[in-house]
Amino acid sequence: MTAWLEATALATWVRTSPSIWAYPTILTIHTLGLGIVVGACAIIDLRFLGFAPGIDLPSLLPLFSFIWWSFLVNAATGTLLFIAEATTKSVQLVFYIKLSLIGLALWNTVIARRAVRQNREAPALAITSLLLWSAAITAGRLMAYL
Amino acid sequence: MKLRHGIWMGTALVAVAFLLRAVPVVAHHSSAPFYDATKHVEAEGPVTRFLFKNPHSFLYFEAADASGQKVEWQVELGPAASLTRTGWTPETLKPGTVIKASGQPSRAEGSHGMCCARITRPDGTPITAGGRYTEEQQPPK
Repeated sequence: MTAWLEATALATWVRTSPSIWAYPTILTIHTLGLGIVVGACAIIDLRFLGFAPGIDLPSLLPLFSFIWWSFLVNAATGTLLFIAEATTKSVQLVFYIKLSLIGLALWNTVIARRAVRQNREAPALAITSLLLWSAAITAGRLMAYL
Repeated sequence: MKLRHGIWMGTALVAVAFLLRAVPVVAHHSSAPFYDATKHVEAEGPVTRFLFKNPHSFLYFEAADASGQKVEWQVELGPAASLTRTGWTPETLKPGTVIKASGQPSRAEGSHGMCCARITRPDGTPITAGGRYTEEQQPPK
């Protein structure tokens, strides 16, 4: 299955294209998406923790659409990066750790959205969010080393 | 109110700091965890495989080790995208082409890995000429 994925024309293009618009660009978009997802989450988390008290909590609601859309971008670019090296990435434990942490962080974000809508500060959710996203990024970075 | 915020903030900062401390390798994809920049190795022999790919290319070639035993070296190169800028293509190093590689050895005990290598013809002349960059070094990026 992973060998088949890796042999598809799309995966082969990502893996072997010498173009700067192939792998390097996909990886760059993946990083930009990460910046928006985790950046927007961090703004909400810091507000939950008492920073920038002048910002009205419900006014942060539009940030969640930035988060969901950028997450979709990252799911797409992440899929491309994964299929290019499906056989090696699919046996990397730290890859599954990363995916689990992202799943937990997104679940945390869904609950945080409820608190924002109800104009209620949720510092515990902010801490779990910051920890889960930091750990997810760390796991992602470690995929290049482990 | 203020005090509670301070406590949460402090907890968060300490937690993040601890996480960063526990995992020192977080920033750039350096070659240092894998290769020893203080050492130098050199070997010469025919190419067995050339994987021209992202995010890293690999070149395999055969050479005799100190005891005369044939071993296969694995040279880690830059991505396809940057090798192209040196004028290399997937066809540049066909199996059988004899090359000389000198670079940093892998830290893995008993392995024959090399990175940041200068790859030339056996007489020291460059593999290709006229690329956008010189092929002095191909560090993994």
